[in-house]
Amino acid sequence: MLLKQEALAGTLESSDLFIRITPSDDPLEIVIESEVLHQFGKQIRATVEEVLDHLGVTTGTLIIQDKGALDCTIRARVQAAVMRAAGETTLDWEALK
Amino acid sequence: MEDLDFYTVEPDHEDAERREIKKLLGACDLLYEQGIETFVVCRDRDRLVACAGLQQNVIKGVAILPEYRGTALSLTLVSEITYLAHSHGYATLFVYTEPKNAEFFRGCGFYDLVEMPDTVVLMENTPIGIKSYCKQLQKHRVEGEKIGCVVANANPFTYGHRYLVEQAAKACDWLHLFMVREDVSLFSYQDRYYLAEENILGIPNLTLHPGSQYMVSRATFSCYFLKDQGIVGKCHTAVDLLMFRNHIAPALGITHRFVGTEPFCPTTNKYNSDMMVWLQDEVRGSGPAIKVVEIPRTEFNGTAISASEVRRHLYEGDLDSIRNLVPPATFELLKTKYVALVAQQG
Repeated sequence: MLLKQEALAGTLESSDLFIRITPSDDPLEIVIESEVLHQFGKQIRATVEEVLDHLGVTTGTLIIQDKGALDCTIRARVQAAVMRAAGETTLDWEALK
Repeated sequence: MEDLDFYTVEPDHEDAERREIKKLLGACDLLYEQGIETFVVCRDRDRLVACAGLQQNVIKGVAILPEYRGTALSLTLVSEITYLAHSHGYATLFVYTEPKNAEFFRGCGFYDLVEMPDTVVLMENTPIGIKSYCKQLQKHRVEGEKIGCVVANANPFTYGHRYLVEQAAKACDWLHLFMVREDVSLFSYQDRYYLAEENILGIPNLTLHPGSQYMVSRATFSCYFLKDQGIVGKCHTAVDLLMFRNHIAPALGITHRFVGTEPFCPTTNKYNSDMMVWLQDEVRGSGPAIKVVEIPRTEFNGTAISASEVRRHLYEGDLDSIRNLVPPATFELLKTKYVALVAQQG
């Protein structure tokens, strides 16, 4: 999926995460800040990478401020951010599985 | 907490809301600043309990009543203001805050850029903003004993700028010239950059750089852009200068900063004299000192050449007086574009 514009998703509230995704020509860069980075940093990153891989995102910058979100929240927020950045308004639910 | 209501207010158009915001800021020992375009406010039933303002990409006037601090409200407030800024087209946000409140913003995804000790901290809401900017700059690094820098608005580029750049280049192994990026001057950024390109031809040891939001920008030095309105007041020139000293200069290995003496404009004059302090003196937590070199303005018929003088002649329709003050490329652009533009402005 081609990123066309900067997009945001989520909030800074507890159990949520805030994502900022910025298009660029450079290979994907993912920055994760989390209060539980030591325990779950690797897991969060793996989840994010999996969703991005699934959506075919290979370039751009993703900044994540995690406030202790669950796995399903992370997936939903990353998907939403990518969809917004791609300017995608009609959702292909199959692709989001 | 369920009764909290968040919405946006345009203070210039909503008198009752503005008065309440003023009162809230006052209760938190903050002053209401002119120029804030939008506030996100929070009400608990009828009571205004928190607000955060936005002036372009700078967050200002953040206040939360004491009993609501440390609750989820603050995080919602910052999320809301971030979405608001995004909807206005601003990606990176900056905030000025007292050092004692910096921790609050760190918890909301802001990162320290620079601190004027015991006074103010400038922060941005990305962990990689300044870092990736400096990484870009490093690609243009030239090694040498004496690496100079000039930051110019050049509104428009005159013989004075040419002289300053020439002298500075002669005095250095390499010179980096930055054009101020903000588009609030009579001459557009694009035109100012183009004129710089044209007018530095023949100087072999020079790199021309586009400006950025990290130098002489609304974010780092907001009052520079109010100078035509005569508002000088208390300027945080220190923040802009320390940004230069701690981030930009190290990335390019800059050892000297060159400026023209400033006989006319009080804001620029203050900026020049503050430069001596914030670039050269010992400052807690700051990078190595940068030597400031003031070069006397070049003159024509006994008067220092200045861009503001050129603009004055332009407004008077006096092209003949301009001819001797600016290089041919500038004169050509003035004639073909700006004479008509100024006439339109009336």
